[in-house]
Amino acid sequence: MRRKALCIAHLYPELLNLYADRGNIAVLQRRLEWRGFEVEVVRVTHSETPQFSRYHLVLLGGGSDREQAIVAEKLRACAPEFRSAVQNGLPVLAICGGYQLLGEYYQLPSGEKVPGLGLVDMVTEARPDAPRLIGNIAVWSEEVGVIVGFENHGGRTRHGHRPLGRVLHGHGNDGVSGQEGLRHLNIWGTYVHGPLLPKNPALADAVLRDALGYAHLPEQLEPLNDRLEQEARTAFVSLRMEDVAPMLRTEAELR
Amino acid sequence: MLGIWIGKLILWVLRLGGRDATSLPGKVALRISPGLIRHFGRQVKQVIAVTGTNGKTTTTSLLASMVAEREPVVTNHKGANLAQGIATAFLRSSSWTGRLRTITAVLEIDEATLPAVASDLPIGVLVVTNVFRDQLDRYGELDGTLAKLLDGIRKTQATLVLNGDDPLCRYLGLRSARNAVYYGMSRETARSPRREQMRDGQFCLMCGRPLRYDGFWYGQLGLYACEGCDFVRPHPAFQGALEGGFLRFAEEGLPALLLDLPVSGLYNAYNVLAAASAARAIGLPAEAIHAGLRAYQPPEGRMQRFYLEAPVTLHLIKNPTGCDSVLDTVVSDGRHKVLVIGINDLAADGRDVSWLWDADFELLAEDPRLTSVVTTGLRAHDMALRLKYAGLLEAKIRVEPDLGAALHEGLSQSSSTGAVMHALVTYTLLHPAARWLSERRDEHASQGPLYRTSVS
Ligand SMILES: [Zn+2]
Repeated sequence: MRRKALCIAHLYPELLNLYADRGNIAVLQRRLEWRGFEVEVVRVTHSETPQFSRYHLVLLGGGSDREQAIVAEKLRACAPEFRSAVQNGLPVLAICGGYQLLGEYYQLPSGEKVPGLGLVDMVTEARPDAPRLIGNIAVWSEEVGVIVGFENHGGRTRHGHRPLGRVLHGHGNDGVSGQEGLRHLNIWGTYVHGPLLPKNPALADAVLRDALGYAHLPEQLEPLNDRLEQEARTAFVSLRMEDVAPMLRTEAELR
Repeated sequence: MLGIWIGKLILWVLRLGGRDATSLPGKVALRISPGLIRHFGRQVKQVIAVTGTNGKTTTTSLLASMVAEREPVVTNHKGANLAQGIATAFLRSSSWTGRLRTITAVLEIDEATLPAVASDLPIGVLVVTNVFRDQLDRYGELDGTLAKLLDGIRKTQATLVLNGDDPLCRYLGLRSARNAVYYGMSRETARSPRREQMRDGQFCLMCGRPLRYDGFWYGQLGLYACEGCDFVRPHPAFQGALEGGFLRFAEEGLPALLLDLPVSGLYNAYNVLAAASAARAIGLPAEAIHAGLRAYQPPEGRMQRFYLEAPVTLHLIKNPTGCDSVLDTVVSDGRHKVLVIGINDLAADGRDVSWLWDADFELLAEDPRLTSVVTTGLRAHDMALRLKYAGLLEAKIRVEPDLGAALHEGLSQSSSTGAVMHALVTYTLLHPAARWLSERRDEHASQGPLYRTSVS
């Protein structure tokens, strides 16, 4: 008997397309296909209404302030369905602008507040005098080890949940707390892109395990040959974040 | 001004050492005399400026070459388009006392630099080639680039020569309250999109509603119209159409010109169209346009060819749209091929390499004539990963971070399998790659007769 397909929804790819989330989708899709799973990727565009009961994983990327405001408005219209699916364990991977959208509001440098979805207890503020937080970033997560990538955000985020991890290098949520991202229910929120998943296969697999569990599919993921991924992580760290290298070695020993 | 004298001195010393500096003399001179650009700006009668995301270097060189048919010009070569590059261009043409011998300047100006220099220069004509997503870490986001361009334009009294096929250029024309003329490809030559691609102009900047497209050329360039308001592609005053190896250039009321295309591809046809339109806007006759195109020498990386053990073509890649057009060229080369792809992440390349994931490298996985790929540069590993997830077999991918070793590897693979080689590199790898290939060519030429004896 053929197994049912795992359904990944990419929300508003044409609006939230600033940081190559196409790469995140490619990684999720390939890593399932290489293990023999059927995958369906649904691109939900601005003219469609998301059907949250169909999806097993939702990806929300980042866009410019203008496009993000359009998306916030679209999603607020279906927030009750989104909220109840998330309460039931629907995994959400939200990156940069998509991450900011999950909270109570996003305050623009002008002082105007764009209301968010209120899925989590979180606020983001961009002050006109504060610099953008830009650069390479590394985060330590107890669940998946070292997460590496690039960050570029004007907003400072505070929330009342567990962070995704501890900042090893870079800025993270607000540049001062030492915390990066958010973990709550099956939500994975983060400012790390670059894109996020290609150089962080352990994180990709953790998100996929949540999605498989939610879809009542076998959660067992056979190991893949991640030689290129591991080499890319090591090369990136030794080139741009030498201070993180010891942590990467520790992680390799634990694996 | 002391700055002029010091700048000239540096130029002279560098030239004695056989080096052609495009930025350093201007950089030092500007530090000593910050008013240097204004000083030169007062002496020239007219500046024709070119800005935009893609194609500004080629368009500037083409236009300078056309103007030079009538009078000597000041121009900044090799894409040195920041304030120091502009200052260097003026220093090169000025006397030791800071007098200019020329009265017209054709300058390439970076989008972010435009607001800083616009009020110091008598810009009479300003060409905007297109506005694409470029380097996010330099400019923040796209809205920021448009705001900078508008800010710069408003500091001039220039007539704008705009790409009407680009909705973002059209927005600049409508919002800037300057006199604008548009160029564009002729309507019949638009095509329907082949695959889902990222576009920056999908929404109307006037009202926020979606844009409807009846056809595309590339990226967001196409026949657009807003569903909600009267924002629509303007009818171009200057129209281009590709015909064989030529560009048919038509202007209302005048006979059409058949223009040479010194560099191939649709992408470059737009540059020729932009340059010819600007030339018409300043009143140049057809002879100057034709002669300028014939005199033009394509610079490094614009599909530069090297005949070594195997034929090599060197391409510059720097953002998804430009990269897609290079990938199109590569896969439409029907011969067996080896690729060398070099990615650096220095400031001039863009420190964020996420754009690699927006470019259509999936095209390579579908090319049955692609033998192998060697990835190189500081971010060689990221490129290799990109290819793996694009669906290329891991066995076809080799990582060699050292540029020289990678080019060597690519060349020996292509010559041993009878394939051609394409090298695709980012900005800071372009000059080193061109140098390596030219040195190799010189060696190859000197050894030529040794190989040939066995043929007879
Ligand atoms: Zn409109």
